[in-house]
Amino acid sequence: MLSTRRHNSGSITLVGRVLLLGVLTICQTANVLADGPGGPQNVPDVTTMSLEDLMNLQVTSVSKRTQKVADAAAAIFVITQDDIRRIGATSIPDALRIVPGLEVAQIDENKWAIGSRGFNGRFDDKLLVLIDGRSVYTPLFSGVYWNVQDVMLEDVDRIEVIRGPGATLWGANAVDGVINIITKSAKNTQGGLLSAGAGSQEATAESARYGSKIKDNTYYRVYGKYFDWYPSIDSTGTMASDGWHQLRSGFRVDSNVATADSLTVQGDIYQDNFGETLTVPSLTPPTYSSTYPNNNDMSGGDLLGRWNHSFARSSTSLQMYYDHSNLLFPTIFSDHESVYDVDFQHDIHLGETQELVWGLGYRSIQDNNASTFTVAVQPSQSSLNQYSAFVQDTLGFFNSRMQVTVGSKFEHNPFTGFEFEPNVRILGTLTKEQTVWAAVSRAVRTPAITEEGLQLNAGVIPPNVPPLNSPLPVVESIFGSTQFGSEDLIAYEAGYRVQATSSVSLDLATFYNYYTNLRSAEPGTPIVEGGATPSYVVLPFVASNKMRGGSWGVEPFAEWRILPKWKLQGSYSFLQMNIHKDPTSQDPTADLPNGENPRNQWNFRSSLDLPKHIEQDLMLRYVDKLPSLNVPSYYSLDLHIGWNPLPQVRLSFGGNDLLNSQHIEFVPDFINTLPTEVRRTWFGSVAWTF
Amino acid sequence: MRALRPILVIGICLSLALGASAQTLDSSDSSEYLIKAGFIYNFAKLVGWPSGAFSQPDSPIVIGILGTDPFGTIIDRILSDKKIDARRFVIKRLKWGMDLKDCDILFIGSSEASHLEEVLHSLRGTPVLTIGETPGFAKRGCIINLTVEDNKVRFEVNLDAAKQADLNISSRLLALAKIVPQATADAR
Repeated sequence: MLSTRRHNSGSITLVGRVLLLGVLTICQTANVLADGPGGPQNVPDVTTMSLEDLMNLQVTSVSKRTQKVADAAAAIFVITQDDIRRIGATSIPDALRIVPGLEVAQIDENKWAIGSRGFNGRFDDKLLVLIDGRSVYTPLFSGVYWNVQDVMLEDVDRIEVIRGPGATLWGANAVDGVINIITKSAKNTQGGLLSAGAGSQEATAESARYGSKIKDNTYYRVYGKYFDWYPSIDSTGTMASDGWHQLRSGFRVDSNVATADSLTVQGDIYQDNFGETLTVPSLTPPTYSSTYPNNNDMSGGDLLGRWNHSFARSSTSLQMYYDHSNLLFPTIFSDHESVYDVDFQHDIHLGETQELVWGLGYRSIQDNNASTFTVAVQPSQSSLNQYSAFVQDTLGFFNSRMQVTVGSKFEHNPFTGFEFEPNVRILGTLTKEQTVWAAVSRAVRTPAITEEGLQLNAGVIPPNVPPLNSPLPVVESIFGSTQFGSEDLIAYEAGYRVQATSSVSLDLATFYNYYTNLRSAEPGTPIVEGGATPSYVVLPFVASNKMRGGSWGVEPFAEWRILPKWKLQGSYSFLQMNIHKDPTSQDPTADLPNGENPRNQWNFRSSLDLPKHIEQDLMLRYVDKLPSLNVPSYYSLDLHIGWNPLPQVRLSFGGNDLLNSQHIEFVPDFINTLPTEVRRTWFGSVAWTF
Repeated sequence: MRALRPILVIGICLSLALGASAQTLDSSDSSEYLIKAGFIYNFAKLVGWPSGAFSQPDSPIVIGILGTDPFGTIIDRILSDKKIDARRFVIKRLKWGMDLKDCDILFIGSSEASHLEEVLHSLRGTPVLTIGETPGFAKRGCIINLTVEDNKVRFEVNLDAAKQADLNISSRLLALAKIVPQATADAR
């Protein structure tokens, strides 16, 4: 916790010693009190409480998290509603920062690079993200537009993050992880909620939600929210152009239409405007590049329906959704995309110890885009169909102390045809408090529309510049290719969980990933453009699959409830990547272990409940340097306080990144957006429930 | 890193100081199983057993925990020195296959979900208060099923099952319960 550096002054060492003594004393006291043989002294006597009082007690979230996690043969971390509320998260990426092993780097006010176990980037393509079962991963570039993935955070039930391949249940592209954002059912969001806030970086944030019921079996809610962010500053201290605002609204209806049938319908619409400073190549001398502020628009909506039916020993689920998005990035690209998805799943309990799950899926994607000099995608109109099926069987042995799960996903996509993703997982219960698990899986990342048909002009080399000394300007272009194939992963994972004492738990996950056919960019023959009067030369770099390598890591997470009112959590992640070009590759980028991924990250959180309904949270994080981007390592300290002066009113105030006045977290790839500083900020809000 | 030290020091001192004072306050957040143990105590108070169920006025109330025990020592600590009408509590951990009819209250863990019907069938006609904590248990025949909704503990009651066990459930308990009808035997 306290790092002692050699150059500490004497007084700090003394304070350090005093603090350590203080911590030890308190821990000793806590130990004696919490589990002493004389009985718990800091725990209510539930036998003197009436039933009505018992029904009003809040269950702490630790048991919810550990119960969900304990049965999984995967590296899963659950962000609870409590976590989201206590850290004062104002966006989904904010909440994701507490997950061990997940890399969350802010590029500018409205863009993030979020990845799991490597390959991070604004357009990270190996992390599948779902909101209530709907995939928000765009097939355009196989990634997520984080600026338009938003929900009313107060109505999030939990966010499940699985690091590692979730291929069998969620399919292709869940290569290094799956993030599943699950909102509360309408039944649990009854009544009204109004919230308003402002801060030093988030100018304003308002949200409103109202939920009610129709008869006794149908519940609904509607919501609307708006936020506006000031632009940040660039590394010279000049105000940048990355302001951002969004208006969003939606609804959800949950109905128990019959005893064994439940139906959910939900939908959202949004309108988002975000800015950035762009540098794009151009053919105009003398600079051959142009830097200017760009204002972009995104809008869209979705509609999802899900019907669950339960039989005596099995249940079925049928889900359909429609998602439409419009992108207008002036001078760069515009795109209209529609996704229509149908998924069916059947879950059967066979015998005493066997569970079989199987499913079928169909997805139709319509894409319509308009190109510019900088970004062009061919064809400009495409219609793609994907089919999938999966089956998974879980068997229990030795009185269910060992569970073996074998499964596979089968997919057919229009670019690479048939893909097969099997996996085997074993979960063993060593003792009531300890479980161990291991898994081997194959996962596949299928090509994106851009990888098949993109021409991205990344830069221009002016004429007469050594070493090329070309008479004409040379445009470096990245091309997709219809020959581009899927990227492959074989993952070996293992983990161990222990509930060491009633208040201490530890969760350890390790992995070794071997990747083949990773994307590389192979130089091609230069093409002279301009017809009869040559005006420029295109130097193509064509997407190919000539990289491979291994990566491995360790992700421990520990939780210690020192006192009923005070919980500490800590996590660490280590990642070592050895990705390199195939011998036949001529990709000019150097092989750099880890690349844009930090080798070490850790975070430490303290959550404290104070009298008069006050919650106080502290989070200290460290992110190692990003070697290939020259982004230095940084520490971040966030403090947050929440107070319920009345049951229906909550005041919340927090400060983020208190240790540094500013720092850069990432430098983006492909589209040259100016990264802006992540600054010390504060934010306060008031929420009223009725 | 220079800025780190004073802020970190102050932050930790504050947290520790406040943490120390927190232990003397009444907790409004408690572990799930502490709360459920409190519910079981209250159920024992508000359920009436038929006259032959206890051999003597001070025979203990036997609570059996069937399957994987989620309580640990908490239920023993809570009930060890409590009495209801001069009856003490005795807590036993049981496995499927052992004699369950000895119990007055049987808590059935989620590990028994796949053979719940067999367990309940073996207790047919005996005055055992069956309690579960797994979704669907009340519908399948448990008399009381504990649930957690919105972070608070609630319970469902299957009145038909209570009648078959010849147990009388106080109206005070029923007023706070969610009444669940017995599911019919076959799949829909």
